Amino acid sequence: MASNGHGHPPAPKAPPAPPPPSALDAPIPSKRMVFNMGPSHPATHGVTKFIVELDGEMVTDAKIEIGYLHRGFEKSCENVTWTQVFPYTDRLNYVSSIVNNVGYALAVEKLIKLDVPERAKYLRVITSELHRICDHLTVVGATGLELGAMTVVIFAVEVRDLVWDRLTELCGARLTSNYCRIGGVARDIPDGWIEKTLKTLDRVAAMRDEIAALLNRNRIFLDRTRGVGPISGADAIDFGWTGPCLRATGVPYDVRKASPYLVYDRLDFDVPVGSNGDTFDRYLVRLEELRQSDRIVRQALKQMEPGEIIVQDFRYALPPKPLVYGTIEGVMAHFKQIMEGIKVPAGEAYSYTEAPNGELGFYLVSDGGGRPYKIGLRAPVWGMLTALPHMVKGRLFADLVPVYDSINYIAGEVEQ
Amino acid sequence: MAEENKPAAPAAAPPKPAGPPAPPPPKNPGFVTASIDGKEVVVKPGTTVIEAAKSVGIDIPFYCYHKRLSIAANCRMCLVEMSNAPMGKLMPGCQMAVAEGVTVKTDTPRVKDQQRAVLEFLLLNHPVDCAICDQAGECKLQDYYMKFDRQPSRLDMPKVKKGKRVALGPLVVIDQERCILCTRCVRFMREVAKAPQLGVAERGNESFITTFPGQPLDSKYSGNVVDICPVGALTSTDFRFRGRVWFMSSARSVCTGCARGCNTFLDYLNDTTYRYRPRENDAVNQEWMCDDGRLTYKPLNQGRVLHAREGRAGQGAQVAQPAAVARAAKALDRHAKAGTLGILLSPTASLEDLLVAATVAKDLLGAKEVFVGGRADGWQDDFLKRADQNPNRKGLELVAQAFGLAVRPAADLAAAVAAGTVKGVWAVGAETPDAALASKIAAAQDLVVQATNEGPLSAGATVLLPAAPHSEMDGTFVQFEGKAQRFEMAYFPRGDARPHWALAAAVGASLGAKLAFASGREVFAALGPKLGTALGDFKWDALASIGRRFGIVPLAAGTVDGRLAPNRDRMPNETGEDYRRAIARTS
Repeated sequence: MASNGHGHPPAPKAPPAPPPPSALDAPIPSKRMVFNMGPSHPATHGVTKFIVELDGEMVTDAKIEIGYLHRGFEKSCENVTWTQVFPYTDRLNYVSSIVNNVGYALAVEKLIKLDVPERAKYLRVITSELHRICDHLTVVGATGLELGAMTVVIFAVEVRDLVWDRLTELCGARLTSNYCRIGGVARDIPDGWIEKTLKTLDRVAAMRDEIAALLNRNRIFLDRTRGVGPISGADAIDFGWTGPCLRATGVPYDVRKASPYLVYDRLDFDVPVGSNGDTFDRYLVRLEELRQSDRIVRQALKQMEPGEIIVQDFRYALPPKPLVYGTIEGVMAHFKQIMEGIKVPAGEAYSYTEAPNGELGFYLVSDGGGRPYKIGLRAPVWGMLTALPHMVKGRLFADLVPVYDSINYIAGEVEQ
Repeated sequence: MAEENKPAAPAAAPPKPAGPPAPPPPKNPGFVTASIDGKEVVVKPGTTVIEAAKSVGIDIPFYCYHKRLSIAANCRMCLVEMSNAPMGKLMPGCQMAVAEGVTVKTDTPRVKDQQRAVLEFLLLNHPVDCAICDQAGECKLQDYYMKFDRQPSRLDMPKVKKGKRVALGPLVVIDQERCILCTRCVRFMREVAKAPQLGVAERGNESFITTFPGQPLDSKYSGNVVDICPVGALTSTDFRFRGRVWFMSSARSVCTGCARGCNTFLDYLNDTTYRYRPRENDAVNQEWMCDDGRLTYKPLNQGRVLHAREGRAGQGAQVAQPAAVARAAKALDRHAKAGTLGILLSPTASLEDLLVAATVAKDLLGAKEVFVGGRADGWQDDFLKRADQNPNRKGLELVAQAFGLAVRPAADLAAAVAAGTVKGVWAVGAETPDAALASKIAAAQDLVVQATNEGPLSAGATVLLPAAPHSEMDGTFVQFEGKAQRFEMAYFPRGDARPHWALAAAVGASLGAKLAFASGREVFAALGPKLGTALGDFKWDALASIGRRFGIVPLAAGTVDGRLAPNRDRMPNETGEDYRRAIARTS
């Protein structure tokens, strides 16, 4: 240490002087204010109400009120046959309905101990991943939209519609696909579908990269998302988070890897993780998962071989129509399956799959009859929603919107 | 073992000639012990394998077997493996009695193969009829096919053609193509109905069930063959094509056709009754009922009184129920005070109805006697049907006795009206033995009638109150032997109708009494004790459970929440009747 020559220790360095007071930073006396946001608000996607307590622009407390979209999903399922539940699952996370179909079908098949044909497994994976692409495109686009980047959402929706066109060719509906059946899937792919799908994937990849170019280094976007609504991995696990939001905190949990189902163990894909757990990481993880889903679909299309698409067993699959109209055996099997429902052995099962938002769990109880005795749904967004007040407390009110968007709240699956 | 513990035989005894070893003594003396699918069964000697298996919860499928009929063993559906079978053949479980130490197996691959083969043969010539068949939904071919066969057809030639809609008699039509020739109907007519009117004609795959030429199936018990037919071959002319069974719910009910009180299922959809089916009760009707009783559901749907009316038919006008009740009470009170009141009770009304009516009559109107109406006598046989065509005459007598009311025939009331000693009449139930008698009673100056259906007496009523029949209320009938039998409400009362007890209680309330009951259960709880021990160990709530319905379990008819009829009891008992009706309208 240099001496000043007088034997005195050097005087401690004075702390940096505070910046001169500015009129802009002057504390403005504010009043605590409580107000409602929603239930019908452009940024609340569907119907949810926030009760927000503000101190100036700062959120001091927040509460979420759900129940504006009560669908009675679980109860309704008790009044229909096991097969008739499929259309109800379409309307859980309605942007990725086939993923819900698959989750439910796997739960019932777990209870029956039924293995489905190989081709059906591949078709389920392909359609699930296509729907995951739709879902992530929607969220990525909407994140831009919430922050004023209208172009992004228009780009995203444009290619999402291309994917929906492919799914329409497969199952006849854009949104409510109702594609799975217990024991397989409803229809095989039409002629030329694979080539069309590959072309669509190319378009999606191009648009995905364009979106990334628009947002990843966009100053406004970065300012509004980086460090906004962060959560630690431990907290996220405590709140019951799964899916891309959990992975954004650095926890590499993906049901497709942790407990592979269908043919995911034969496919090569990575699990992207973030590091900060903030809104920007959640966006980045989804963007990267678009890439991984693309890889999965291409591999699965290559590996898939011709074969049955549903089990050939009159207990579970409807007989072909000529048999129904022409033989007593066929008409009986058809009648019993339609009127009484598939007989699922008495017992209970929990089955979980990776939905675009996280772990989608179905807990089923059967009394051996043709209708579910009880269905319990583990909606992935539920955990994220409960953590929302924790994430926005002490932050600017304007941050509520991107944070809320990034957890991708879907009223259809939370409100059962 | 007992024989091993015996002291050794004296050496001097000559050696026994060698022969088959003596069978071991029974494990449970007096009973037969065997093993079915590894489960030990202990049954009385002579019990068939099917019944023994049922006692330990194993269901062996069958078509031709019926526990109340002789054994035919012709459908071959119940073949099982038995350790004592000659040459290891499969044996019919309906015919073979369980023997000591026998091992029975009902789920081996051999048995399953046999069941599949039998079903394939049965379905070989079966028409593709489910879509138009009345049995669909309660058909054992459908049930067993899904349970035991599930294979596609292998038939590559035309099916055999037979009679498609042959009317066997007034109530039964046969489709001979659907028939599997189990001969249950033939055996029923011979053994139970004691009228051997059915038989099998022709041979092999050309055979069919038919009557003798020129002799229709006109026994009074012919309807039962429709119930016991396991497939859609025998159908009821009355129920044919009228409704799909999977839409209907069943209520546990009692036939009101005669004093026997055969236990029934009342099959209904929304507020319409579609048919009666006999319900098993060994003490009353086994599991049969007569054809006349089977058709007595019709007045539940047709010719009903649904709104209160003031003034005699033709000049009367519909009025609000409370106003009609108040006016009725006023007229009755006037005549009671003048000593010119006659009270006519119907033995078709339930015990609860009569208890409240008797309370009002005795305590508020000061009656000392009641007149008994009811339907005229009909035919009688030595099996089920009674000449008395009223379901609750015994109940009426018990109530009258409990309240110290003298019982007099309706003819006396007609005479009293003609003589002018009775000028006001309160009829709880409008049934009278004949129309002439009714018109004589209707000559009274004031006639308050509570009626379920339009008839000669209701036509003459000055105040007419709509009453609910047994399909629309919970209640009790006492049959001729004194057995009290509960019936349950199938659907809420139509129109403004209310049970007799509710109407009688409303009249009583108008007269200033504190009479208000929310349900038949409350009525019985409050007034039932007056009957003392007359009903034996009858318990109002102990209606035998029917368990799960065979075949399709329908969503509760007319409701959207899928609750089956018994589960509607989840509604709290104290829920008022008005509220229940309001709920019924919205569902």
